[in-house]
Amino acid sequence: MVSEREVLGRKPLQILEKIKESLERLNEKMEIMIELQKHGRRELETITPEAPLDVMTLLSMPDHLRKTAMTICRLGRATADEVAQQTHRARAVESAYLNQLVVMGYLKKERRGRKAYFYINKEGQG
Amino acid sequence: MGKIVAVHSYKGGTGKTLISTNLAVTLAKHGKKVCLMDLDFRAPSLSTLLNINKVEYWLNDYLNGVCEIDKILIDLGDRISKQGGFFVGLANPSVEAIRDMSSKDRKWEMRALGRLLSLRNSLLNGKNFDYIIFDTSPGLQYSSINAIVSADLVIVATTLDNSDVEGTRRMLRDLYDLFEKKTEIVLNKVMYEDALRSGRDKLQALVKETYEVPLLGVIPCFCDISRAEGKIIFVHEKPQHPFTRILEDMAGKIDKL
Repeated sequence: MVSEREVLGRKPLQILEKIKESLERLNEKMEIMIELQKHGRRELETITPEAPLDVMTLLSMPDHLRKTAMTICRLGRATADEVAQQTHRARAVESAYLNQLVVMGYLKKERRGRKAYFYINKEGQG
Repeated sequence: MGKIVAVHSYKGGTGKTLISTNLAVTLAKHGKKVCLMDLDFRAPSLSTLLNINKVEYWLNDYLNGVCEIDKILIDLGDRISKQGGFFVGLANPSVEAIRDMSSKDRKWEMRALGRLLSLRNSLLNGKNFDYIIFDTSPGLQYSSINAIVSADLVIVATTLDNSDVEGTRRMLRDLYDLFEKKTEIVLNKVMYEDALRSGRDKLQALVKETYEVPLLGVIPCFCDISRAEGKIIFVHEKPQHPFTRILEDMAGKIDKL
């Protein structure tokens, strides 16, 4: 039996979760827009980076991005949450770095329902 | 969960193959399920060392995406240790294969890294291996860096030769640090007297100061090793030799890491 209070308590929780989810999506869109601006591009078309995400590319990356990129290399395909668990950094931070790597063309992103998965763009030109 | 250990060095001839082979065999004798892989595609040596003539698939084929990993594993348990398990994956020593491996592009190397990384899933998780040991090429080249990136622990073999010390130091700082790899040093070909107990602390301090990583072990110059001409697996054939005891000590330390 579920008490009336629990039912009433659950509704606001669901609403709050919905709001949080929407904010996260919005945040992600902003991140991508900012990254695109930085790279002087307008759309998130599939771009081919100058080099594929190999060890030499990893070496030349700034430290904070290398950590994220290496985690994706190890996990193969992962959400920002899963990456954050490995790197012990905040989910929002990893989400920003992952989207940055997507804009740079090293990663691809795929949405499955509520979750966004990141994986290596194997079509990158070498 | 098992571990991937890469044995690497800055210069050639520092004893990578000696250390990786004998370490792998020691671990297998301790009851571990071990796979030794020759990732030195420029100068393959394990097929000769282990005297294996008939090979259907090479590690080259696995990295080329021609076959899956189980096709390349050769079971040498009968020869070494039945209780643990000893398998090898070999690099193709033909000139044609060496040429092919040295002309790969960056996209291929990226895929090769992916295939090395997936060994964690296929062998450590899927087939319950306790250890995968990579014998790598010296210096900074794709195949070795791929191996280092895929490994949980890197053992760097070095001597007290000045250019080796300097190069190793630079390599640890400019490469290993960037990948945040757990690293241990093995000092090889040390003068026998220096490797004895009194000199041991001095060497430990030297390694700590020079490389800023821990010292896993010290191997003195053993004429017996040169005399064996790379025809035997030392720890297997000479269980009473001091070299064997040093390797056992290292294997014990690695197991506790």
